[in-house]
Amino acid sequence: MLKLLSYVWDNFKEYLVLVILVILSLTVLTQNNNPQVQKVRAFAFGSFASVTSVFYNFLNFTHIQNENEILRRANAELNIQVSRLREQGILNNELKGLLGMKDTSSLPLVPVRIVSKSLSLTQNTITIDAGSAKGIKPGMPVLSYTGFVGIIQSTSDDYSIARTLKNVDLKLTVKNERSRINGIMKWDGEKLVIIDVPKTYDFEIGDRIATSEISSIIPIPIPVGVIAKIEQSQTGILNLIHVTPFAEVISVENVFVLQIVESDQKNKLELNFYNRQ
Amino acid sequence: MKLKYFIPLLIFFPVVLIQLTVVPFISIQEVVPDLLLIAVIYFSISFGQIFGTLTGASYGLIYDLISGNLIGSSMLSKTIAGFIAGYFSGETRRDKYLYTYSFSIVVFFTGLIDAIIFSFFSVIDFNTNILLVLFNHALLPSIYTTMMSILVIIVPYRKNFE
Repeated sequence: MLKLLSYVWDNFKEYLVLVILVILSLTVLTQNNNPQVQKVRAFAFGSFASVTSVFYNFLNFTHIQNENEILRRANAELNIQVSRLREQGILNNELKGLLGMKDTSSLPLVPVRIVSKSLSLTQNTITIDAGSAKGIKPGMPVLSYTGFVGIIQSTSDDYSIARTLKNVDLKLTVKNERSRINGIMKWDGEKLVIIDVPKTYDFEIGDRIATSEISSIIPIPIPVGVIAKIEQSQTGILNLIHVTPFAEVISVENVFVLQIVESDQKNKLELNFYNRQ
Repeated sequence: MKLKYFIPLLIFFPVVLIQLTVVPFISIQEVVPDLLLIAVIYFSISFGQIFGTLTGASYGLIYDLISGNLIGSSMLSKTIAGFIAGYFSGETRRDKYLYTYSFSIVVFFTGLIDAIIFSFFSVIDFNTNILLVLFNHALLPSIYTTMMSILVIIVPYRKNFE
């Protein structure tokens, strides 16, 4: 028996090592949602992100200059809009007061910096410099000044990993701002699409897409993108809506995390899709 | 304990640091070169098939953990990449495939297989054109990685790693 094992090892050791490691990889693939694995991941990326943040700061200097220019322009435009909105807000408050409604406009935004980007055509993720110590939790939305960027996937004490829009595992409930029709948006590895939209639904090129209030994770509308193309599916019944995102992960350096604490009751009732792998 | 067992560990951290911080700046339409794969292939040809397979598995697993990828996806693809690159190892073949432009050809074919396996766990959508998926997710990154692998051939003092 020992001779046989020795013979097999001597002649096929490369294949044996390969088979063992492939089985190990497949086993690890099935354990992605295991809390122990998540803990190991949080420790690993938390430790490494502290190194990458220093390195990224140094490299990012020129990009920050460009981003500052864009931000200054956006700031000027927003200032004009704010003054308009302020007048409308005063009027709105008066009217709300008359109707006895509560103000729901203030949102808890945490400014964070991207410390590394794992660019892949299918599993695009970013690491940000805020974690559970700052109250960041998995499932919180990440946005830039232009629009929705992604969703927090896992956190360590000081860092978090977020799945971006260009990640096949992120699926979002979105709505057409004009026609108020909801749909499921996902990254199919090539493009951002709203899937299985009946042909009779009112979607037009140029319509703005935002996150939908019916989403179990993002219950407020955050701008996502604009419809670029409407593609007819092969069956002819359903359309595939191509969306161009407002926020491009490749150029974004500073983002915000929206600290939304969802109702526990609602969370227990609804499916939290960010856990899906 | 031979020094060669520590070299992949020493090389891993600077390479992954560059992969996550510098490489995003040189991406073309979000297609990026895979520097870890180049390192895995280099070690596999230098030190043999088993060493390359083990290096691929370790690199893949740690990269999955720190990058937010599906844990196990890079591990599997890089294990197989390390194994395939090991076929170009050996006393007579090492110099031929490691120090000439043949290295880039090995990187291209191994990278293609690595990217196809990695994509398999990410883009399982039967509505998309499989040829288009292979072109965008496997061929383009492989070409970019191959171009970057030329640096390994032209950078001097490479033999110091041995």
